[in-house]
Amino acid sequence: MSVNEKAVRAYRRNTIICLGGILAVFLLIPAFVKNPYTLNVFILIFYTSTLSMAWNLLGGMTGQNSLGHAAYMGLGAYAASMLITKAHLNPWLSGILGMIAVGLVAGVIFYPCFILKGPYFTLVSIAFGEALRQFIINSAFFGRASGIGLPFGRDSWLDFRFGSKEPYYYVGLVMLLLVYLVMKKIERSRMGYALRTIREDEDAAAAIGINPMKYKIMAVVVSAMVAGLVGFFYASYIRYIDPEMMIQAKSTESVLPAVVGGAAFVEGPLVGGLIMVPLSEFLRANFSKILPGINMLLYAVALLAVIRFRPAGILGWYSHSKLKTFIDTKILKKPPIEVIEEVELARRQRKEA
Amino acid sequence: MEKTPIIEVQHITKKFKGLTAVKDVSFSIREGAITGMIGPNGAGKSTTFNMICGYYPPTEGKIFFRGEDITNKKAYEYTSMKIARTFQIMKPLKNLSVLENVVASCYFGHAAARSQHEARERAMDILQFTGLYEKRHVLSKDMGTPDQKRLEMARALATKPELLFLDENMAGLNPAETESAIELIREINKSGVTIFLIEHIMQAVVSLCENVIVLHHGEKIAEGTPEQVMNDPLVMEVYLGAKGGKDHA
Repeated sequence: MSVNEKAVRAYRRNTIICLGGILAVFLLIPAFVKNPYTLNVFILIFYTSTLSMAWNLLGGMTGQNSLGHAAYMGLGAYAASMLITKAHLNPWLSGILGMIAVGLVAGVIFYPCFILKGPYFTLVSIAFGEALRQFIINSAFFGRASGIGLPFGRDSWLDFRFGSKEPYYYVGLVMLLLVYLVMKKIERSRMGYALRTIREDEDAAAAIGINPMKYKIMAVVVSAMVAGLVGFFYASYIRYIDPEMMIQAKSTESVLPAVVGGAAFVEGPLVGGLIMVPLSEFLRANFSKILPGINMLLYAVALLAVIRFRPAGILGWYSHSKLKTFIDTKILKKPPIEVIEEVELARRQRKEA
Repeated sequence: MEKTPIIEVQHITKKFKGLTAVKDVSFSIREGAITGMIGPNGAGKSTTFNMICGYYPPTEGKIFFRGEDITNKKAYEYTSMKIARTFQIMKPLKNLSVLENVVASCYFGHAAARSQHEARERAMDILQFTGLYEKRHVLSKDMGTPDQKRLEMARALATKPELLFLDENMAGLNPAETESAIELIREINKSGVTIFLIEHIMQAVVSLCENVIVLHHGEKIAEGTPEQVMNDPLVMEVYLGAKGGKDHA
C-alpha cells in the first residue's frame, strides 16, 4: 500500500471517528440529562432543523425561496391527525399517508406556480400558506380554530405515544439523521446537480438538457413531504395541533436555521438549528420576564449580525476559515485534494482490471 | 445526390411585437463542416441563433434537424438530439467549481452518465481536452473571461453533441487567446462534431469556416466561402459603408 493510500485511509478513519463521537454524544445525552425542559430544547432543535433541511432543498439548493413551509408542516400534521382520530389508523401509517398527501397537494398547487420566478414565487408560497390556514380555520371538519387533540393513553411504540420525552428525543434524532442522509444523497445525485444548475441559471440548465419545471416540481414535492413528516412528528409529540402552527412567523422560523448555518450546504440547517433554537429558548427564558418581547428583539439582532457579517452563513465562513484548515490538517490529517483524487483513480482502475 | 443537411432553416421570421428582427431567412448547415454567421450589430444573428436552439420559436418558418421538424422543440430537448450550445454572455454556474460545472452537464443529454464516477471521469477528460484541468477546483465565478468561454464549451461538449452551436465564443479575447480558441474549435470539429458559430472576429471566421452566411437588418444578404462573401459588393457596403461614403459621414 502506497504512502498516499495510507494517508487517505487515515483521513477517512479520522473523519468517521469524529462523526461517530458527535453522534455518540447525542445518543448519550438523555442518559445524563433528565431535565424535561432541556430535553424539550433538544427535540425542538431536531424537528426545527429537519424542517429547515426541507426548506433548504427548495430554497438553498434550487434557489426557490418559499415562505410557506409552516403550511406544509401543518398540512402534514393535520392529515396525520385526521387519519388517527377520524379513521383510527395506526399513527405510523397515518404519518406516511400524511406525507404522501402533502407531497401530492404541493405538487398539484405548485405546478402552475412555477411559471413564476424569484420573488413572485415567494409571494405565492406565502399566499398558499395563508389560504390553507384560513381554510382550516373555517372548516368544521378540521376542527376550526380550536384544533385537534390526539388521544392520550399508555406508553406505546405502536401508537407512538409516550409520557416521557426520551423516546421522542430518539425518534426526533433518527428523523433528523434519515432526512440528512436523504438530502446528502440528493445533493450528489443527478437531481442535486439539476437543482443547483437551475439555481445558478435556468437558461444554462435548459441548454444542457434539464427540464427546469420537472426538477422544480420534484424539489417542491420532496421538500413538502419532509415538512409533512415534521408535522406528523410535531403532532405526535405535542399531541395537540391548531391552525396557529401555520402562521407566517412559523414559516420564517423554518428559513432561519438554513440561512444562519449556510444555505449552500446540506449541513447548514443543522448548524443553524443547533445555534438558533437554544439561543431563542435562552432569550425567552431569561429576558422575557424583564421586558416582554425583548427576547424577540435580541433574537432579531443576532440574526441581523449573522446576515451582516457572515452573509454566506456560518458554514460559508467556516469553509474558507483558518479553523477548517486547522481541523483538516491537524486533527483529521486530510491529504491534499490531488492525492485523494489520485488514490480514487488508482482504486477504480484496479477494480476495472 | 447530396446528403440531407444536418440543419435546414426554411424561411424563418421573428417578430417582437412590432419589430421584425429576422425576416425570411433560409440556409442549411452541412454535416461535419464549420459554418459561420456574421453581420453587424443588431443584424439578427443572435435572434436567428436562439430560434435554432429552441430558446424561442420563430414567428414563421420551419427548422429541420436531419429532416425532422424541430421548430417547436423546447430548449431542454436539444441535448437528447445531440445538439448543444454556448451562450454569448457566459452563464457559468457561478457558485460551483469548474469540475462541478462540467459534471452537471455529464449527467444530462443523450449519453447521460449513470453514476457519479462515470460523470466525474468524463468531466475530467473534457477538462483535459479544453485545457481547464488545472483549474478544476476553482469556483467558476473566480475565473477570467477566456476561461469562462472555455468552460461554456466544456459544458456543451460534456453532453456529447454531434452538432455544436457557438455564440460569439471569442468576443473579448486577445489575439493569442483567440488563436488558441480557434485551435480548440478546429480540434472539436476534427473529432466529428459539426459546428455552427456566430462570430465578430473575421480572423476566426476566415480561418475556420467552410461556409459563411451574412445577415444585415434581419435579412440574409450573402452566403458562400469566406473569400466569396468578403468580396461581395453588398457585404462590403454593409461593413465599410456605401460607395463613396455618402450615407455615412
